[in-house]
Amino acid sequence: MSRLEIYSPEGLRVDGRRWNELRRLECSINTHANASDGSSYLEQGNNKIITLVNGPQEPKLRSQTNVTKAVLSIAVNITRFSKTERSKSSHRNERRVLEMQTALARTFEKNILLHLYPRTQIDIQIHVLQQDGGLMGSLINGITLALIDAGIAIYDYISGVSIGLYDTTPLLDLNTVEESAMSSVTLGVMGRSEKLSLLLVEDKLPLDTMESVLAIGIAGSHRIRELMDKELRKHGEKRLANISSNQ
Amino acid sequence: MVLHRKRLSDGLTVTQKVFVRSRNGGATKIVREHYLRNDIPCLSRACKKCINIVVPDAKNELPVFVLSESPQKLVDGRKHYVVLDANIVLQAIDLLENPACFFDVIIPQIALDEIRNVSYPIYTRLRTLCRDSNDTKRLIIFHNEFHEDTYVERQSDESINDRNDRAIRKTCAWYGEHLKSSGISTLLLTNDRGNLERAIKEGLDAKTLAQYIELLPEAEEVKDALPNLETFSSREKDVEARSEFKFPDYYSTARVMGGIKSGVLYQGSVQISEYNFLEGQVSLPNFTKPILILGQKNLNRAFNGDQVVVELLPQTEWKAPSTVVLDSEHFNVNDNPDGDENQNEREDAISDKQRRLLVQDAIQTQKSGKVQPTARIVSITRRSWRQYVGQIAPNSVDLQNGGTQNAFVILMDRSLPKIRIHTRRARELLNKRIVIAVDSWPDTYKYPLGHFVRELGEVESVEAETEALLLEHDVEYRPFSKKVLECLPVEGADWKAPEDLSDPEATAKDPLLAKRRDLRDKLICSIDPPGCVDIDDALHAKQLPNGNWEVGVHIADVTHFVKANTPLDTEGAERSTSVYLVDKRIDMLPMLLGTNLCSLKPYVDRFAFSVLWELDANANIVNVDFTKSVIKSREAFSYEQAQIRIDDPNQVDELTQGMRALLQLSIKLKQQRLDAGALNLASPEVKVHMDSETSDPGEVEVKKLLATNSLVEEFMLLANQSVARKIYEAFPQTAMLRRHAAPPATNFESLNEMLQLRKGMSISLESSKALAASLDRCVDPNDPYFNTLVRIASTRCMMAAQYFYSGAYSYADYRHYGLAVGIYTHFTSPIRRFCDVVAHRQLAAAIGYEPLDLSHRDKNKMEFLCRNMNKKHRNAQFAGRASIEYYVGQVMRNNESEETGYVIRVFHNGIVVLVPKFGVEGLIRLENLTDDEQSAEFKADEFKLSFKAKGSEKIKDVFVFDKVTVQVKSVLDPVTSKRTAQLLLR
Repeated sequence: MSRLEIYSPEGLRVDGRRWNELRRLECSINTHANASDGSSYLEQGNNKIITLVNGPQEPKLRSQTNVTKAVLSIAVNITRFSKTERSKSSHRNERRVLEMQTALARTFEKNILLHLYPRTQIDIQIHVLQQDGGLMGSLINGITLALIDAGIAIYDYISGVSIGLYDTTPLLDLNTVEESAMSSVTLGVMGRSEKLSLLLVEDKLPLDTMESVLAIGIAGSHRIRELMDKELRKHGEKRLANISSNQ
Repeated sequence: MVLHRKRLSDGLTVTQKVFVRSRNGGATKIVREHYLRNDIPCLSRACKKCINIVVPDAKNELPVFVLSESPQKLVDGRKHYVVLDANIVLQAIDLLENPACFFDVIIPQIALDEIRNVSYPIYTRLRTLCRDSNDTKRLIIFHNEFHEDTYVERQSDESINDRNDRAIRKTCAWYGEHLKSSGISTLLLTNDRGNLERAIKEGLDAKTLAQYIELLPEAEEVKDALPNLETFSSREKDVEARSEFKFPDYYSTARVMGGIKSGVLYQGSVQISEYNFLEGQVSLPNFTKPILILGQKNLNRAFNGDQVVVELLPQTEWKAPSTVVLDSEHFNVNDNPDGDENQNEREDAISDKQRRLLVQDAIQTQKSGKVQPTARIVSITRRSWRQYVGQIAPNSVDLQNGGTQNAFVILMDRSLPKIRIHTRRARELLNKRIVIAVDSWPDTYKYPLGHFVRELGEVESVEAETEALLLEHDVEYRPFSKKVLECLPVEGADWKAPEDLSDPEATAKDPLLAKRRDLRDKLICSIDPPGCVDIDDALHAKQLPNGNWEVGVHIADVTHFVKANTPLDTEGAERSTSVYLVDKRIDMLPMLLGTNLCSLKPYVDRFAFSVLWELDANANIVNVDFTKSVIKSREAFSYEQAQIRIDDPNQVDELTQGMRALLQLSIKLKQQRLDAGALNLASPEVKVHMDSETSDPGEVEVKKLLATNSLVEEFMLLANQSVARKIYEAFPQTAMLRRHAAPPATNFESLNEMLQLRKGMSISLESSKALAASLDRCVDPNDPYFNTLVRIASTRCMMAAQYFYSGAYSYADYRHYGLAVGIYTHFTSPIRRFCDVVAHRQLAAAIGYEPLDLSHRDKNKMEFLCRNMNKKHRNAQFAGRASIEYYVGQVMRNNESEETGYVIRVFHNGIVVLVPKFGVEGLIRLENLTDDEQSAEFKADEFKLSFKAKGSEKIKDVFVFDKVTVQVKSVLDPVTSKRTAQLLLR
C-alpha cells in the first residue's frame, strides 16, 4: 500500500499537478563553452542534467573511422549522488545504462545529418546530477539542446517525455514517486510532427489504452519543444546583441 | 531553510518540499517538487467565484459542487460547515457515517494523508463516504496542500505535526474568509488540545467533538455514539483513582523493532482459544508448535486476530494448553462497569473459583509434561478492531438511573472480552442486539472502552439476529449503491440476446459478438438444487460420429455484463462471494444480473462461456475447446427431477439420453478421481426446512446426496481443471487459481492419539490416497456413524483451501490435496464467486476474445484480490453456519428431546458432545454432570473424565468417542441472552 494518493479522485497528482501538466522545465545552452563544442544544462522537475558535445572531431582510434559518415558515441554518467541515497556503484557498466546509451544513439543517428561529417566522431557526454523520474526523456532534451549549441546539423528538435497510466488515466511527465507506482512509456517526438523517433515501453500496458497515452505524450513533447525553442531564441538574441555591441 | 517559490505560469507555482527520512539508522534528505495552484475550487454552491476557475479532468468531467448553500444550522441558528482534524475522523468514523449528523464536511487533504497513513481501512471508508454521499451528507476533500493560499511552510522550530495542524487551521480560516459573504461559518473540529487552543487564540471557531455534538439540534440522539476515549480533559483527574489495576506497558517501537531484528521478539497474529478466552496462540514460522499465551496480563489487551509482538517466557514458566473451559460471558459477571474508576476492594482479576480450577490445571499439565513454549505479548502492531455486535449485560445496568451510565456489553464472539460503554439509554437497550465500536484500551482499564453505534432490534427476533450475524462476519449486506446499479444494462430485465449473431446492428453495439459461437441448437439443460434462481451452469452431451462424446459445460457469462474497473466490478470484488443464509441470500451481484440476465434460465437465449470437450468412452479428454457462446437451455431440473427422469425407462428422448450419458461419464470421472486419492470428507451439516406459510423453521434434516449431485459436481471439477491449465499457460505469473495444501502431521497428532488409544486405529498421512484409504478403514462395526465422526474430525484437521495467483507459489504447491488434482481454479459459479469472474476474464484473454484488464495482470493487485476473496469466503461460510445454528436453536426451542451424541473432546471441567441429528455440538459442564465436583478425575493421557454420576454414588467414566444419550433443549442464557443448545447427559 503506497502511502500517498498517486492520483486523487479530485484529479490531482502527488505533487499537485493535474494529469496533463508538465513539470517545471528550465534550460540553458552554452554552459560549458571552454570544455566542449556544445553544451546544455537542463532541469526538468528535479532532473538535473549537463550535456556536453565534442565534435565533429578526429576519431581517437583510427579503427573507428567511417568513411561515409560521422561516428556517434554517447556516454551517460549517472552520478552516485543523483538519487536520494548515495549508491555504492558508479553505474558505468550497468546494463540499464548501456541500454540507455544504445537507445539514445539509435534515436540521434537518425536525426543528425551524419553524412555531412565523414571520417569524424561526435562525442556526447551526459552527466546526471540529480534524477527524479522520466530520466530518458530529459536526456533526449538535453542532447537536442547541446547538439544545437554545437552547431551540428540535425533535421529537427527531438523532445522526450514519459507518460504513465494510472488505472485508465494517462499521466504526463512522471516523477520518481509516480514512476515506481505505475507502468510508463517514454516518447521521443520529432519537432512539431507526430513522428516518433523513440518509443520505449519497458512495462506492461494494455494495448487499447496506448492511443490515449501516445496522444497526450505527443502533445506534451510539443510543449517541451516550444519551451526549448524559446530558450534557444532568447540565447540567440543575446549572442547577436553581444556580437553587434562588440563591433 | 527558505524555499523559493517560482511562478511557472498564471496560477501555477512550484516550490520544493524537503524532509528527512531515517532508515536503517541513516538519515536521507529528500527533495520533492510541490506545485501550488489557484484552480482548486471550494466546492460550495454558495460560492460565486470558484465556478470560474474549475478545469476538467482526464475524462473531461468538471468537479461537482457538493457543499450545500443552506447547510445545517446549529442550535444558535448559525449555518455552518465543519472542517475536520484527522483525529476526529480516526476516532469517530462511525459518527461520520451516521446519517443523523455531520452534513457539509470539509476534510483537508493533510488530514486525509494522515488518516491514510494511520489506518487504511478508515481511509477507504472515508473515501467511499465522500464518493457516495453527494446528495445526503456532502463530504468533500479540500486539497489545501496544493492550494496557493492555504499552503503553509514549515517553520524552523516547528514539529511536523504542528505544521500540519497549522495547515488545517489555515484551511479553516481560508474557508471562513472565502464564504464570508454567504453567511456560512466554518467550524474547526479537533480533539487535539494544542491545536484547539491555538485555533481559539487565532480567533477561529474551534470545538472538540463533544462540544460540537452539543451544539447540534439533534444532539440527544447522537450523543450515545460519541467515542469513549480518554480525552485530554478527563485524563488527569482519574489517574490516581485507577492506579490499582494495571496492564504491563507495551514496549516502545524502537525496542520492538530492535527485538524483532535480533530475534528476541516475534511477530504474529494471535488466535484466542474458542474454549478459553484467557488463552491465546500465536503461530510462528520458526516454531513447530504454536506459542501459547496464558492469562490476562500476558495477553495484555490483545483481541482475537490482532497482530502482536511476543516475548518468550523463561522455560520454567512454560505451560501446556489449558484443559479448562472459560467463557468471557460467565467470567466475573459481577464486575461493576463503573468499577474501574473507584475500585479498591478487588485486587485481582480472577475469582476464587476460577483460581482453584487453574491450580488443578497447572498440576495436571505438569504431570502430563506436554509443555509448549509460552510467551507474553509486549506490543500490538495492528488492531483487528471492527464493529462488534453484542448486548448489554443486564446486571451491569442500574435500572434506577435514568442518566448516562457505564454498562458492559457482552459480545457475540465468545473469545472477546466485555466492552465498557458509556450510554444514556442503557435501560432502553436492555434485551436488544446492539452494534458497538471499540475505541481504546488504556492500560489502567480492565476492559476496553467502546461506544454505542446503533441498535439492531430485539434479541431473538429474526431481523436482528440475521443482521447481527452478517455484521459479525463482516458481510456487506447493504443494498447496491446508485453508482453500481448504473453499470447494469440500460434495457434492464428486457435485455435480450440478439437473434442473429451476424446482425450488423447488434455487432455495431457489441463488436465482440462476432466472436461468439451459436450453440442454441445443442440440447442443454441445467441441474440445480430445488428453488435455485441463480443458475450458473448448464450441461449437454452428444454422441459424435466416431463414438466419442461431445460434452459441454456452459457457464453464465457474467463478465459480459461486469466489465473490469467499473463500480459494479469494484463492488463485486469487495463482496467476493454471495452469502447463503437459511432464509436469505446476500448477493454478490445485483439481482437483475444474478437471477435474470446472467442466470441460465430455461427457454430463453443467454450468453454463456462454454467449455467443450471430446471425451472417449472412458471419460478421458481427447480434446478441449473454450468459447464464448449463446445458448438456450431446454429445461432446468432439480437434482431430484433429474434423477427421476434418468431413472424412468420410458423417457427415450435425446435430452434424457444425453443426461444418462453424462451420468455414466461422471461416474467414471469420479472413479478416476478417487483412484488418484481424492478425499471424501464429512461435515455435520444439516438443512433447516421452513414452513412455507409462516416461514417458521419446521424441522431439521441431514443433507442427502443424489447421484445427480455428483453428476454436476464432476463436470464442474473437470471444467475447473481444464480452465486452470489454460489460464496458467497464458498467464504463468498471475493466473487465478485455488490450492489446498497437504495438512501438516501435527494437525492430526491428537486425533491419531485418540484413535490409537480408544479404537486401535490410525490415520495415515503419507499421501491423500493413503489418507483416504485409512479413513475408509476407520469403521466400528457396531456403530455405522463412527466412520462419519472420524471424517468430521479429520475435516477439522485439514488446511483450508485458498485462492492464490500463480506467481505466489511454485508449480508443485498448486496441488489441490482434497480433490487430488495438480492444478485447480474456480470457474463455474461466476454469479456467486468473484474468483470465477477473474478466471473468466483471464480465459477470455487466453482465447483471444478480449484483452485482459491490467489489474488481473498485476501481481500486487492479484495478491490484494486473493486475500480479500479468502477472507470473504471464510466469513461467508461462518455466516452460513451461524445462520443454521440459530435456526436449529429455534427448532429445538419447541421440542425437547433425547438424542444420541458423541463425545468429541474431554476437558478438565466438562465434555463436548456432538449431536449428529441437529449438527450441534455443546459443552456439558462438570457441575451439570455430577453433584460432587471434587470427586471428578481427569486423565488427559487417556482422554477420560471420571465422576460420580448424578444421584448415585457410582463412578462413571466418559471417554472421547463415547456414544452417549443426551437430553437436548434450547435455553436462553440469562447473561448473554443468547440461545444455545443445552445438553444434559442421561
